[in-house]
Amino acid sequence: MSEYILEIKHVSKYFHGLVAINDLSMKVKKGQIYGIIGPNGAGKTTLFNCITGIYTPEEGQILWKGKEIKGTTPFKIAELGILRTFQTIRLFAEMSVAENIMSGRHIKSKQKWYNGIIHTPAYYKDEKENWEKVGELMAFFNLSEYATTPAGDLSYGIQRRIEMARALAAEPELLILDEPAAGLNENETLELTQTIRKIQAMGVTVMMIEHDMEMVMSLTEYITVINFGAKISAGLPAFVQDDPVVVEAYIGSDEEDEHE
Amino acid sequence: MMNKTSLIALALLVFMGFYPLFVDSAWLAVGTTFLVFSVVAFSQDIILGRAGVFHMGHAMFFGMGAYTTAILNVHFGWPILATWAPSVLIPMAFAFVLAGPIIHLRGDYLLVATIGFNIIFIQVLENDVFGLTGGPNGIFGIDIVRLFGIEFASQTYMYYMAFILLGIALFIMRNLDKSKFGRAMFYINKDEIAAQSMGISIRYYKLYAFIVGAGIAGAAGSMFSVQYSAVSPEAFNVTQSIMFFTIVLVGGSASLPGVLIGTFIMFVLPEVFREFETARYLVFGLAMILTMILRPRGIWPVKFGDIPSYLKKGVK
Amino acid sequence: MDIFLQQIVNGLTIGSLYALVALGYTMVYGVMRLINFAHGDLVALSAFVGLTVYTQIFGEGITSLIAVVAVFMFTAVIVAVVGVLLERLAYRPLRTAPRLSAVVSALGAGLVIQNAVMLIWGPNMKIFPSEIFPSTIWAIGGIVVTFTQVMILGLSSALMVALYFFINRTKMGTAIRAVAIDQDAAKLMGINVNRIIMVIFIIGSALGAVAGLFIGAYYRGITFDMGWMYGLNAFVAAIMGGIGNIPGAMLGGLLLGLFNAMITGYISTQWAETFTFVLLIVILVFRPTGILGEKVAEKV
Repeated sequence: MSEYILEIKHVSKYFHGLVAINDLSMKVKKGQIYGIIGPNGAGKTTLFNCITGIYTPEEGQILWKGKEIKGTTPFKIAELGILRTFQTIRLFAEMSVAENIMSGRHIKSKQKWYNGIIHTPAYYKDEKENWEKVGELMAFFNLSEYATTPAGDLSYGIQRRIEMARALAAEPELLILDEPAAGLNENETLELTQTIRKIQAMGVTVMMIEHDMEMVMSLTEYITVINFGAKISAGLPAFVQDDPVVVEAYIGSDEEDEHE
Repeated sequence: MMNKTSLIALALLVFMGFYPLFVDSAWLAVGTTFLVFSVVAFSQDIILGRAGVFHMGHAMFFGMGAYTTAILNVHFGWPILATWAPSVLIPMAFAFVLAGPIIHLRGDYLLVATIGFNIIFIQVLENDVFGLTGGPNGIFGIDIVRLFGIEFASQTYMYYMAFILLGIALFIMRNLDKSKFGRAMFYINKDEIAAQSMGISIRYYKLYAFIVGAGIAGAAGSMFSVQYSAVSPEAFNVTQSIMFFTIVLVGGSASLPGVLIGTFIMFVLPEVFREFETARYLVFGLAMILTMILRPRGIWPVKFGDIPSYLKKGVK
Repeated sequence: MDIFLQQIVNGLTIGSLYALVALGYTMVYGVMRLINFAHGDLVALSAFVGLTVYTQIFGEGITSLIAVVAVFMFTAVIVAVVGVLLERLAYRPLRTAPRLSAVVSALGAGLVIQNAVMLIWGPNMKIFPSEIFPSTIWAIGGIVVTFTQVMILGLSSALMVALYFFINRTKMGTAIRAVAIDQDAAKLMGINVNRIIMVIFIIGSALGAVAGLFIGAYYRGITFDMGWMYGLNAFVAAIMGGIGNIPGAMLGGLLLGLFNAMITGYISTQWAETFTFVLLIVILVFRPTGILGEKVAEKV
C-alpha cells in the first residue's frame, strides 16, 4: 500500500458546463495536516464536496487507501472514515450539544435493527459506551457546560467546536475542516490551532481549507494552492508563501472573506 | 423526585385507567376510539414528526390493518387473535413496497404521492377487488376477541384492550427515541446533508420510519375493526389521513404529550360539540390557522436534550 | 374513431379547467413553496358566487353578453379579494415558520372556505343556470361540441396566452420571476415582495374563479365540497408539468384532462383516480421534476 491515504488524480467538476475544478491532483499522507488555500470561489469547498460524496466529479479519480471512492454516497464515505465540518456551520440547531455530538457516534454504534423497538442488554451497553464517548469529547472541547443547550443558541466559536467534536466522535481517519477559523477571534483561533495539533497526535489525518494565513503556515505540513479550480502551486508552507504565482493570485483577487 | 411532566402523565394515566367507570356507553366508545386514534397519530408521528417525511396517506396503513383482520376473520374464519400478526405485517410490507420507489422525492412530491396511494387504496376497497373488500359498504360481522373461553365482548373490554395497545405504542415510541434509530431520524429531519456526512443513510432510516409506523397503524386498525365489528372505506380515506397529519402538527411534532393533545383536539372536541354540527368545522379551520400562527411548532412542542444524567453534571 | 375524437374534445375541455386551476397552484408554489390547499375550495366558492351573482343581480333567464361578462368579472373580483385575504391572514404570518405549519394553515383555510360555502348556500347540490351560455350544439362528423366547450377552450387558451406574455414580457412579470428565483435578492433589488405575492394571489384566484364558473356551466351540479377533487387533480397536473413552471401547468392540465378522458372513455370510470395517481407516481419516479422541469428556488 502506498504511503498516501488519499489520492486525487486529475479530478474535474463542472456546473452547467462551467468548470469548477479543473484537472486537480494531490496526495495526502497519513497523519499529515494538509492545507488547501486559494482565493474565494477557487473551488476549494467544491473539492471537499467531491471527496465527501456530495458531488460526483465528471472526470478523474479519488482514491482512498488505493480504492476508488468517486461517486460513493456521502454516508458510505463517512463509514469509510472520512468525516467533515462545514464552512457554513450545519448543526442540528434545535437539538442539544450532546445529541449533536452523538450523531457522530452513529456509525460506531452497534445497535441492531430491532433495538429501535425493543431494548436488549447489548443495547444498554452500546448506548452507555457511546454516551460516555460523547462525554469525553465534550470535556476535550470544553463543551460540558452546554451539554443540554440547543446547539443553535450558542455562539459561532462554540458551534465550530461542536462541529469538530461531532466529526471526531466518529473516530475518523481523515478529518476535513472547511474554514475552521472563520468567524473566530484571536484567542479562539489559537485554541483551535492547539486542538488541531492534538487531533493530529491522536493519529488523525487532517485536511483543511483556511484563509487565516498565519494559522495555515504554522499548522500545515503541505499546502496546495487553487485558483479558478486548478492547482497553481503546491509545496511546503515556506515555499508556497513566497511563490510569485501565489502572491499574484492573491493580489489579483479579493483576499478577504466574502463567500464562496 | 418527579418533574411536572411526569406528574401530569401519571395523573392522565390514572384518569384514563378509571375513565370507563364514569361514563355511559357512547362516551366509552369515544374514549376507546380516542385511544386507537392516538396510536395511529403516534405512528404517523414516527414518519412525519421524527423522520420528517411529508406523509399524508397514513389512514391507508390504518385501513390495511383493519381490513386484514376483517377479511381473515369474516371470509376465512380466522380467530381475531390469529389476525393480529398479519394485520401488523401486511401494512409493513406495503410500506416497504410503496415507499421504496418514492422515498427519495422532495417533501411536497411525497405529500401528493402518499395522498395518491391513499386514494388508490380507497378505490381498491370500493371496487370490491376479488370480492374480498366488500365494496362501499365494507365488511360486517367481525368477531370479538376470545381467549381461554373468555369473550372480550363488552365495550369496557374494548376500552382496556385499546388502553393496552396505547401502552405498547408508547413503549415503542420511547424505545425508538432512545435508540440510534430514533436519533438518526431526527438528524435527517433537521439537516439531511449533515446527517449523511455523519454516515447516516437517509433512505434506510426514512424507510425504517415508514415500516415501523405502518406496522403500529396496522395494529390500531385491527383493534378499530374489532371495536366496531365492521369496516368501511370512508373510515380510511384521505380526509382521515389529513386528520392524522394535522393532529401531529397541531399538537407538536415528535412530542408525546403534543400528539395526545392533538388527538384530543382534532377528534374528541368535535364529538363534544356535536350539537353545533353545521358550524363546527368552520370554527375548526379557524382554530387550525390560529394555532399555527400562534404556535408554529405545535401546542406542546418537542423538547430535546434528554441525555443521560451523568452528562448533565457539568451543566451550569 | 368517433369515440376517440369525442373523448379528445372532452379531455381538452376538462384539461383546460385543470390547467386554469393548476396555474394558481404553480404560481403560489413557485414563489412561496407552499401547496395552497385552499385553492380548490376557492374554485368551488367561485361557482357559488357566480350562481348568486347571476340569479340575484341579473335575474334568471337573462342571457345577454353583458350579463355574462359581468358575472365573470364580479366573481373574479370577489374571489380575488378572498384570495388576497387568505394570503394576508393565513399564510403571511407563517412565511418564516416551519413549512408544514403553513400546510396545516392552508388545510384549515380550505376547511373554513368549504364550510362557509356550506353555511351560506346549504349542503345540497345546487344547479348552475343553464342559460348562462347558449345551448348551441355543433355536430361535426360523429362528434358533438357544445357552445360551453368552445367557450371553455377559447377563453382558457386566451387567458393562458395572456398570462404567458404577462409573465415574460412585462415589468411586473419579470419581478414575479425574480421573486420566484430568490426572494432576498429580489428584495435587495427594490422589488416589493409582498406586493408581488398579492399579485400572484389575485391572478391565481381570478383564474380559479373562471375555472369555477366553467365547472358550473359545464357540469351544472355544484356542491360545497367539490373543490377538493378539482384542486387535487389540478395540483397533480401542476406537478406533472413541473411545479413552478407556468407552461408546465398548462401542459400538465391538458395532458391530465386527455388522459382522464381516455381512461374513462375506454377503460373504466371506477378506476379513473387510480390511473391518475399511477401516472403521477410513474412520472415522479422517472422524471422527478416533471415534464418541463420545476422552477423553484432551491437553497443548498
